[in-house]
Amino acid sequence: MKPPAFDYAAPETIAEAVQLLAAHPGEAKLIAGGQSLMPMLNFRLLDPALLVDISRARGLDDIKTNANGVMVGAGVRHHALMRSNDVAQRLPIIAHTMQYVAHMAIRNRGTIGGSLAHGDPAAELPLLAVLLDADLHITGPAGDRTARAADFFLAPLTTDLGEDEILTAVAFANQPTDGGWGFEEIARRSGDFALAGAGAVLTIQHGVIADVRLAMMGVDETPRRLPGVEAMLLGRAWDANARATVTRQVRELINPMSDLQASADYRRHLAGVVAGRALDTAWNRAQPQ
Amino acid sequence: MQDDAPANDARPKNVGSRVQRLEDPRLLTGAGGFVDDIQLAHTLHVAFVRSDHAHASILSIDADAASALPGVIGIYAAEDFPVKPLHATSRMKDYQSTAITPLAQGKVRYVGEAVAAVVAETRYLAEDAAGLVDVSYAPLPDLVDPRAAAASDVLLHDGHTSNVLVSRKFTRGDVAAAFAKAPIRVKDTFRFHRKTPLAIENRSYLADFDKGKQALTLYSSTQVPGVIRDALAEVLEMPGHSVRVVAPDVGGGFGGKASLYPEELTVSLLSRLLGQPVKWTSDRLEDLLTTSQAFDETVDAELAVDSNGRMLGLKAEILGDVGAYSIYPWTAALEPMQVAGFLPGPYQLENYQAQVVAVATNKTPAGPYRGVGRPAAAFVLERLIDMAAARAGLDPVEMRRRNLVQPDQFPYRTGSGIVWDQSGFTECLAMASDGIDYSALRQERDAARQAGRWFGIGVASYAELTGIGSRMSAAPGMPINTGTETATVEIDASGAVRASFGVASHGQGLETTLAQIVADELGVAVDGVKVIHGDSAAVTHSTGTYASRSTVLAGGAAHLSGQAVRAKVKEAAAFLPETDAADLDIADGIISERGTNKTLSLKEVARAVYSEMGRFPLDMRAELDLRATKFYDPEFGTTTSATHIAAVEIDPETFIVTIKRFLAAEDCGRLINPMIVDGQVHGGIAQGIGAALYEEVVHDQNGQALSASLVDYVAPSAAETPKLEVLHLDTAALGTLGGYRGMGEGGAIGAPAAIANAIADALSHLNINISELPATPERLFRLVNAAIEGET
Amino acid sequence: MIAKRPLSLTVNGRDYQRDVEPRRLLTDLLREDLGLTGTHVGCEHGVCGACTVLLDGASARACLCLAVQADGREITTVEGMGDIGALSLLQEKFKKHHALQCGFCTPGMLATAHEILADGAPLADADIREALSGNLCRCTGYEHIVRAVSEALAESISGRVQPNAG
Repeated sequence: MKPPAFDYAAPETIAEAVQLLAAHPGEAKLIAGGQSLMPMLNFRLLDPALLVDISRARGLDDIKTNANGVMVGAGVRHHALMRSNDVAQRLPIIAHTMQYVAHMAIRNRGTIGGSLAHGDPAAELPLLAVLLDADLHITGPAGDRTARAADFFLAPLTTDLGEDEILTAVAFANQPTDGGWGFEEIARRSGDFALAGAGAVLTIQHGVIADVRLAMMGVDETPRRLPGVEAMLLGRAWDANARATVTRQVRELINPMSDLQASADYRRHLAGVVAGRALDTAWNRAQPQ
Repeated sequence: MQDDAPANDARPKNVGSRVQRLEDPRLLTGAGGFVDDIQLAHTLHVAFVRSDHAHASILSIDADAASALPGVIGIYAAEDFPVKPLHATSRMKDYQSTAITPLAQGKVRYVGEAVAAVVAETRYLAEDAAGLVDVSYAPLPDLVDPRAAAASDVLLHDGHTSNVLVSRKFTRGDVAAAFAKAPIRVKDTFRFHRKTPLAIENRSYLADFDKGKQALTLYSSTQVPGVIRDALAEVLEMPGHSVRVVAPDVGGGFGGKASLYPEELTVSLLSRLLGQPVKWTSDRLEDLLTTSQAFDETVDAELAVDSNGRMLGLKAEILGDVGAYSIYPWTAALEPMQVAGFLPGPYQLENYQAQVVAVATNKTPAGPYRGVGRPAAAFVLERLIDMAAARAGLDPVEMRRRNLVQPDQFPYRTGSGIVWDQSGFTECLAMASDGIDYSALRQERDAARQAGRWFGIGVASYAELTGIGSRMSAAPGMPINTGTETATVEIDASGAVRASFGVASHGQGLETTLAQIVADELGVAVDGVKVIHGDSAAVTHSTGTYASRSTVLAGGAAHLSGQAVRAKVKEAAAFLPETDAADLDIADGIISERGTNKTLSLKEVARAVYSEMGRFPLDMRAELDLRATKFYDPEFGTTTSATHIAAVEIDPETFIVTIKRFLAAEDCGRLINPMIVDGQVHGGIAQGIGAALYEEVVHDQNGQALSASLVDYVAPSAAETPKLEVLHLDTAALGTLGGYRGMGEGGAIGAPAAIANAIADALSHLNINISELPATPERLFRLVNAAIEGET
Repeated sequence: MIAKRPLSLTVNGRDYQRDVEPRRLLTDLLREDLGLTGTHVGCEHGVCGACTVLLDGASARACLCLAVQADGREITTVEGMGDIGALSLLQEKFKKHHALQCGFCTPGMLATAHEILADGAPLADADIREALSGNLCRCTGYEHIVRAVSEALAESISGRVQPNAG
């Protein structure tokens, strides 16, 4: 299991990287941490003519904060995001959820941009981006653009990112400090891809849910929010009735796939379970206003 | 029976102690030497072109594009090596062997079978070229289901009468009468799914043919260098003295490295052909496709029990899926026959009948894997016992206590004809239930159930034959003698001690445990004994390490050789100056005369023997050395036994099983090194946990292996493995020299059964039987759903 | 034919210069080009953890890293963690508690454990199991590994605290 032959470039700027991609249409691949790409190369599932390594490109590995939120450079490693104090304070769901990403050695190398651009429907970062309605900053030959996470993930391992485009950062807006959050995932082993996962954020006013988002992973072609379920929950208290409704509706709304580890039926079942549990935690964490 | 304790002047101080391993410093600092670590000048590298069909005729192999790549030396197919095929022979009636060749001849029979070998200057280039070799196939019907394969007119192997390679029936006692009078009869169809041993080191072979000497050295990550040496000598038609197989540091085996592999033949033939060293190291994909797999059985079994819970009779039909070839040297009979042989377990069970059918299918060949047949056998019987206990209104521990062979019943011949010698069957059960505080655990379970939690306790008892001597074959009907083992202990002219064995250590710590024995016998420091193993040239005859044999057999031989050399040392020392050998003691490398303060070092004796022989009488000199070779044959072997208890909790929403407690109480005789014994038991249990909950080789209907990565073949990590508790009886076995019993496999035998019983107990309110392992959350989800639907 | 690239890196404190194919894996560079065969290859797809080394001090899969990506970096392999005559704290504990059998997963296990100690946070056994979950061992059942890491971590933390306290 040795990778096929390819050429290699490690540009120091994003602009150079974009030029290299544009100069090799269809035959160049970006690499940063390589934690998703390298196994595919070793299995010879890919045969690129050129690898463009952006792990040395400047300006990708900062976590910046401002009044509105956190901007995470695409080159930031999972481990850095997980351990960032700024992130833990403003977006504790991110710090918490990152623990579920693979294992220590993978988190040390894997990058935020790499995970988002890889677009695995059972991965945590795409879920977080969708749940938190993140903006994805993209640059390409035509200039810079911003994509909403909700529009970015198109199909398993397929995103809106053009072959000559590079994801440079992801911007997460601050969450209400009195809001609650929950994340649940079920996997065969610690660090494995999720069979099903759910993230939830909500706020409570006057004893009922005032604002809520619920997103699922591993149970559909892409990570996705469930607006119908969210709408149903508005104005309700999180009680056994609401929980049963969520469990049922989630199972109806998703479209899971079967694989070696879990059938679509079992994933559908789990989806209802993790959605309920994520909302349990979110409800319990939220400070009632 | 001779007294196994060394002479009273050298009481064992190493045997029985937690001696730190002599292997560890090198392995901890990256200074070990595994096969792939060996770099010989001008080594060529092999990549195999492997079949992507489960069953097909090979029409043509087009290697033109591949051959043209720079750095490619050559591309070789079956016709390039017109050698006589090997057959795993057997004395079993109606057994059908299969031809084992270096590369597929005319036909491929499983996905991953090697069709051509690409030799290049680097592995990278070899893989590039392998990707360009174009093999055209004419597909044949894929025989994936063993029942269908058994009935099929399509034959995997030309000349066979059917795809059934082995078929046996045996009966003992009056089974029909036992069942007729039994008030309780329980039965089910049990399925134990296919596993792969999954050593973390992949298989690796480096062949080095010396043209001048016309001699071949194969460095192989094998458990059985002796077996491989003999096979290579036969296939390459070379004398044994010119074929040497060395297994250096080997990164785990578990049975997966205990058979001959086609790649071992191929690299050896290539090195001889090309006159250069040739290396192939399996990658993980190749490992998951081609290393021997195991445990693939379906067992229909029924147990008859009287109203007091006494077992009356047992019936079983065992269908084994043995894959495409009858593996060398064990044969296709190994695993399914062993299921049948051990199915009656450690219980008083006089009436037994079993039918065994081993069927060839288009899958990876099956071979030995830790426990061989007994994990499935224990799973089936221990489930049946719990099912019967529930019907009889007995607690599972009490049910077992009543049925286990009692201390006064040894030796006991089981329903399958196996004879158990004295072993702590009932003692282990008691020790396990005391050790885990069974009654408190039951209270905890009942309280958890009150709170709506799914909590269960599972018990499993088993026995196994280990250290099998010459009166039996390690595999049924196999003609190779594995029942004796040799040790050569020698003190050289510098006074250094070397002990050479035919066994091959690959994690068991034999360099330490065997040194402990020799050190005690000779009265020297344990780290002063250099143990040589894993080298076919080290002793005149060897096979290797498998079947829980090495401690009993090599340990026994170590005692005998050590004693013989000790006697020689004393005999020689008695002349330096003249004294009576009977008055001499040896301890810490110093020989001293009792009642005097005269001492002599071992080094001085050695120097005198080899360099100052004039100091000895003339008639002594023809046999004057400090060296002895002794063989040990325990004849029958010995019985190792244990009881495992598991407590599990199942999440009622996700069906994820968590092991809350796991305790094993076992009788492996006298412990040489308790720390190493614990480690062996832990490792076995962890593999048993894998078998019970996680691991499964899956093929689709076309024989494509779906579990072909470590993402898809799910082996437990530290996070999935609970704290493991182990208790030992630590009493000497009566039938073996030193009192040892083999214990390398047992952990893997009891754990699946105990966990299956615990899961069934946790689901008892739903009346769910656990008859299929691994009990994945997916399977439990389906079982629970079916049970709930059945209720409504 | 794709040109080889010059590469310089520091391994176990020693500087090396080599020319390598871009596709060459860090595992092969370490093992074959530098002769540091203590780093083992178990799966080449990032799951088993046998090839784990320290890359700029942090654990990393050498099989998922191109040699060229290690240009200018500092790597510690098992050979750099201690010597036969001078085992590191972790190596000593592994030996004392029989935390290795065949020894094949051990170099990667040590790299991960090294990072656990470097991190310095006290961990319960369950957390240690979680932290080790990216390294598969098939021999030990992990029991003795957890014991060794737990004891090494406790001593490492107490050793670190003492000088400050004094």
